[in-house]
Amino acid sequence: MSIMENFSSAFWAETLKMRRSKVPFFTALGFSIAPLVGGLFMIILKDPEAAKSMGLISTKAQLLAGVADWPTFFNILSQAVAVGGAILFAIITAWVFGREFSDRTAKELLALPTSRETIISAKFIVIALWTLALSLFIFVLGLGVGSLVDIPGWSTALLQSAFVDVLGSAILTIALLPFVAFIASAGRGFLPPFGWTILTVALAQIAVITGWGDWFPWSVPAMFSGAAGPRVDLLGLHSYIIVFIACGISLAATYYWWSSADQA
Amino acid sequence: MSLHREDLGESAYEESMNVMMISSRCISLEKKMSYAIETTNLSKNYGEVQALNKVNLRVKRGEIYGFLGLNGAGKTTTIRALLGMIRPGGGNIKVLDQVIGPHGSGPWDRVGHLVESPAAYPDLSVRENLDVARRLHGIKNQKVVDKVMDKLSIASYVDRKAGTLSSGNFQRLGLARALLHNPELLILDEPTNGLDPAGIVEIRELLTSLARKNGTTVFMSSHILSEVDLLADRIGIIHKGELIEELDAARLEELRAKQLMIGTRDLEKACKVLVDYEGLSTQDGRIAIKDPRAVETPEMIATILVNAGIPPTHLAIEQENLEEHFLRLTK
Repeated sequence: MSIMENFSSAFWAETLKMRRSKVPFFTALGFSIAPLVGGLFMIILKDPEAAKSMGLISTKAQLLAGVADWPTFFNILSQAVAVGGAILFAIITAWVFGREFSDRTAKELLALPTSRETIISAKFIVIALWTLALSLFIFVLGLGVGSLVDIPGWSTALLQSAFVDVLGSAILTIALLPFVAFIASAGRGFLPPFGWTILTVALAQIAVITGWGDWFPWSVPAMFSGAAGPRVDLLGLHSYIIVFIACGISLAATYYWWSSADQA
Repeated sequence: MSLHREDLGESAYEESMNVMMISSRCISLEKKMSYAIETTNLSKNYGEVQALNKVNLRVKRGEIYGFLGLNGAGKTTTIRALLGMIRPGGGNIKVLDQVIGPHGSGPWDRVGHLVESPAAYPDLSVRENLDVARRLHGIKNQKVVDKVMDKLSIASYVDRKAGTLSSGNFQRLGLARALLHNPELLILDEPTNGLDPAGIVEIRELLTSLARKNGTTVFMSSHILSEVDLLADRIGIIHKGELIEELDAARLEELRAKQLMIGTRDLEKACKVLVDYEGLSTQDGRIAIKDPRAVETPEMIATILVNAGIPPTHLAIEQENLEEHFLRLTK
């Protein structure tokens, strides 16, 4: 069997497992909250009189969004991908890897003509495609919601730059997922990667507050999305390099663990 | 033996050389092909715990090898090592003449396995679970799934989600996956776990048929001694990480300790009279003697007892069963 045939079989198996589970539906449902809530904020901000009568919700909406226009709305979407994605994408990764341990099926993947490396690669590709699809889904849903709310400030140039923001935030968030995969594998289940995710989200905020965010890989996606201000002022080339070094290390650790660690 | 061309003549010399070459090939082939599983000083430690200590297994091709041991004896650790799932601390492993590599490489297209309890993706149907295994084994023919489902009597559950199967049918699904690619070697950990009595007989017959008709080698671990006794051509007993005994059917017969059972009206006096015999004990109101002198010549014991005025009321040679033998070894 050729490498491509092996990969195609492993990829087919991984997509089948994904399609048969409820996780894609629930992650899409969970992620769609971002453009819907963003749309709600826009409605509130468009009509200050109505906003006043809504009390706390209105105040919160102004704190988060500021003005009701397309640039603000796109900013919400890209921050949702970076911050929300850090949690939601981690859940997906923890499920793809961790389920093999909770369902005790990991041992069925070890002594096969299709190598462990091929199976792991298929898992990573499925995770990358799935999370990218989710990011695109909320972007498209956001376009629909924004159009329905009818907010001002639309331009084709803005659409292009917003697409780059969302895609860039998604890619940087996805680049850090192999750590979650490694923790799910070495920790043999769901809970250790969830704990890891909560830890990195908290540390990312501390790093930004203390001014070291550009050197801390888990702060970079949110800073790229504009959550802490314009990214040109905050991030340098080193920030992107450090994210991809972290990605490489965690990928290597995951592959090494699957190929060499005792699967007791 | 040395052959000379001039003594034999050209054609006879060449013929002899051919015969010698073929014989030497056969001998080397036999040496090379004789074992489906071969471990040399296989050892494994988990921290301070020695899970396996210099285990030397030799499983011949086409035989059914029963691997017996108490819980925690090292059965599953051995199986995991054979399948490249753990890295041995020492020693070598060969499966179907291939050294099991440090990164789990091995002849897995020719090996079927069931390790510990069976596992399957609960959201996938029986067919989908087997299809995943088929594709990962690189088998293009989709009919193998139907065939193996028929063989394991799970065809009626084809569209049922694996998570809703009974434990017996879940076990059958695990066995179906192990048999899917018609392997040369089956490594099975407790293969009849969870099956009802009819299922146990069915799987026993299936494994016997695979070994006898297809020449499949079956390496099965179990703690169900009667099961192993009925199935296996050879038995290995592992205890505290060491292979303490390996026996074939004939050797098993030999090794099973025989004992002379004596019934008498005065047990105490009889014991005093027979005190010189080794391995004397009382069991259920009878005297048991394991001393080979007594086992081989029970008439001598009868004579001694008659002369002492306590003629035997019962005299019989009884044999330990595998269970007793196993328990004696693992005490």
